[in-house]
Amino acid sequence: MHSPLHYLLLGLTALLRNRLQTALAMLGVTVGVGALVASLALGRGAQESIKDQLLAAGANMIVVTAGNYATQKTQGTEPAADHARFTPPVDPLQFIARLAAARRDLLARGYAAHNIDAALRAGAGLPVSAVASTGRLQRVHFEDDPMAEHDHPTAKERLGDSMAGLGAAATLTLDDAVAIREQIPGVQFAASGVHENARIAVDGDPTRQWFTRMHGTESRLPDIRRGWVFPFGEFLTERQVADAEQVMVLGRFAADKLFGAGANPVGKRVILWNQPFEVVGVVGSTSWAQQPAAGDDQFDALYIPVTTVHRLLNLSKLNTITVTTASAGDTTRIAGEITALLRQRHGIGEAMADDFTVRTQAQEMLGKGLSPELARIVGGNLATMEQLTIEQLSTSLQRANRTMLALLAGVATVSLLVGGIGVMNLLLLSVTQRTREVGLRMALGARRRDIARQFVSEAVVLCLVGGVLGAGFGVLAANGLEEFFQWSTAVSPLSAVLAIAVAAALGVLSGVYPASRAAQLDPIGALQHE
Amino acid sequence: MPVISLQNLKKVYKLGDNTVNALRGVSLDIEEGEFVAITGPSGSGKSTMMHILGCLDRPTEGHYLLNGNDVSNLSRDELADIRNRQIGFVFQGFNLLPRTTAAENVEVPLLYSRPVLPASERRARALEALRAMGLTDRAFHHPSQLSGGQQQRVAIARALVNRPTLILADEPTGNLDTATSIEVMRLLQELREKQKITIVLITHEPDIAAYGTRIIAVRDGIIISDKPNVPRRVSDEPEALPLAAVG
Ligand SMILES: Nc1ncnc2c1ncn2[C@@H]1O[C@H](COP(=O)(O)OP(=O)(O)O)[C@@H](O)[C@H]1O
Ligand SMILES: [Mg+2]
Repeated sequence: MHSPLHYLLLGLTALLRNRLQTALAMLGVTVGVGALVASLALGRGAQESIKDQLLAAGANMIVVTAGNYATQKTQGTEPAADHARFTPPVDPLQFIARLAAARRDLLARGYAAHNIDAALRAGAGLPVSAVASTGRLQRVHFEDDPMAEHDHPTAKERLGDSMAGLGAAATLTLDDAVAIREQIPGVQFAASGVHENARIAVDGDPTRQWFTRMHGTESRLPDIRRGWVFPFGEFLTERQVADAEQVMVLGRFAADKLFGAGANPVGKRVILWNQPFEVVGVVGSTSWAQQPAAGDDQFDALYIPVTTVHRLLNLSKLNTITVTTASAGDTTRIAGEITALLRQRHGIGEAMADDFTVRTQAQEMLGKGLSPELARIVGGNLATMEQLTIEQLSTSLQRANRTMLALLAGVATVSLLVGGIGVMNLLLLSVTQRTREVGLRMALGARRRDIARQFVSEAVVLCLVGGVLGAGFGVLAANGLEEFFQWSTAVSPLSAVLAIAVAAALGVLSGVYPASRAAQLDPIGALQHE
Repeated sequence: MPVISLQNLKKVYKLGDNTVNALRGVSLDIEEGEFVAITGPSGSGKSTMMHILGCLDRPTEGHYLLNGNDVSNLSRDELADIRNRQIGFVFQGFNLLPRTTAAENVEVPLLYSRPVLPASERRARALEALRAMGLTDRAFHHPSQLSGGQQQRVAIARALVNRPTLILADEPTGNLDTATSIEVMRLLQELREKQKITIVLITHEPDIAAYGTRIIAVRDGIIISDKPNVPRRVSDEPEALPLAAVG
């Protein structure tokens, strides 16, 4: 055995003889290896993106929602008529807030303000004292429940739809959130939330309005929403939340609608509930699968301190407590512990139903975090989303990912095969052209394996050069796919090494047959070959 | 001990139903330092004999002892080793690798010798062999840049580079003009005289056979005459004078 350099030079010299054929054969290998590298990058990209998406979309997320629809249904109290759900006991403050929300909804749906107000007044019946005690909102004269007439779908799940133990109920408190955070091991974050639909307008320019989703929340939310970035400003600070300041973070989509696409609204003022809020940040998505869009919950939205919501609306309850677990595998256990803790805190007896709902986010993440194709594959594999555990979901995603990878690997394999056939063809040509040389080398003492090694090394050199070029092209292709198609790719150094190893193996494989043909030549016949 | 000992060597080629008896019982001893010229008309079996002597082919029958070892039944790879270490070939058509320098051509046998020689050692030995052939200044020329005589000297350098005990030359002057042929024969004579290398040369030209110390004539696959010869000297040649210029 000589040094690899010896065989490299030997191979290169031989290859320079048939430049065009060599170039063509090399092109085949380049394409094959390029496809391999690109598909590895895509596969890894998908893998990482699945992991990211699982976390970003809440694979480790548990949402505790006030109220319990399941109970309502199982108890057979299907709401016969909407008004039945709004019969007392009603907390007057919540009632006011609910009316305010109803008004905003109706406004958003195009009803003229004076018509709404008239309709609300006609319903009357609310204690004056309650109206008076709603502070800033007392300017609004809501005296009736518009829900009796308007069956707005989102309104049903709203703050203030209160019926203890049934349906939606304002049963969660800030203290519940603190208790979850502090008492359950494995809980990473717990953020309180109040959610509403809201109309906002640019301060000083009431023509620039947008109807969107309001989230009253805490400063920790970005830790839970892992797929977030802040193109402008930053999220609410702990201080702003503690002081119930009138500051606002806009979702990217909402910001674009109010201030124009790409504009930086930080420092501008936005009117919400007739109150000025200073914009302190804009939140966007890092995820290719989760681009801000109209009506989405995260980016067609605004975020203000939950304390500010409580102060302005004079509330103390929450709609949701969003919890993340340190490990995605822990969600089922922690969901159980949250249930136990809240039952104890809410003094719910053994036989009684929960007055809250604990859900892991398996189902929601499908809609939020994943590319539609992937979600469809996964969805097709799962009969009952509701019972889905995170583990099952990840398994299913992995399976879907593997299907994709197998496809890509198939493409790469076929290209490599074609490249390998090209190389073999070139080598057979080379063996024929150099039959005399083979005879001569044999006469001068080359053993069969020496001859074979020479041709195999020629094939390997060819494939290695093609492979290095291919790895380069593959990286470029992966970047191109990411750039132009927003496909998620991740090139690992290992995949470049692997690709080059594959190219070398391809060289050996495609060189073996021509090489053995050369090695089997009869020295005399070969020497006399013309 | 003779360098070469052939014992009733036979070679039969089978072509379909036809069989060709290329060698029909050749017995022959060649001692170290002999310069044997084998002559005979075309088709008489000279090349067949040369191939067997060169361990490129095996006899159908009989035995071939090379330096005392029977090589008649060795495997292909064992024969390759013997060719590499013990035999130097000089071919009619030179058989140099194109697009490859003289030095690299001379190195080829060293590539296959074991233990593997380091590249620097290979190069040194190739240059030395070329120097012995008076080709130091042509060491890095390609065959296409060399005259026929120079090419055949490169081929001789290649035959010598692994210090064989036997040189086999099949019509080495067949492609050369008379003056150059004489130059090549002078070189072979020198090798025999100075290095005691045994030389077996095939030629159908009596003029060339005359340089040998022994002349064997074959016909129809058998030896018909085997006589010692007083080798012709280059200085006997009228063309000898301008030789240096021919190179
Ligand atoms: N490979 C072969 N297959 C069949 N017949 C062959 C082969 N090589 C040589 N011969 C035959 O053997 C005889 C001797 O050939 P060869 O040794 O080449 O003679 P020379 O070299 O003296 O001209 C010829 O009749 C030739 O046709
Ligand atoms: Mg012949």
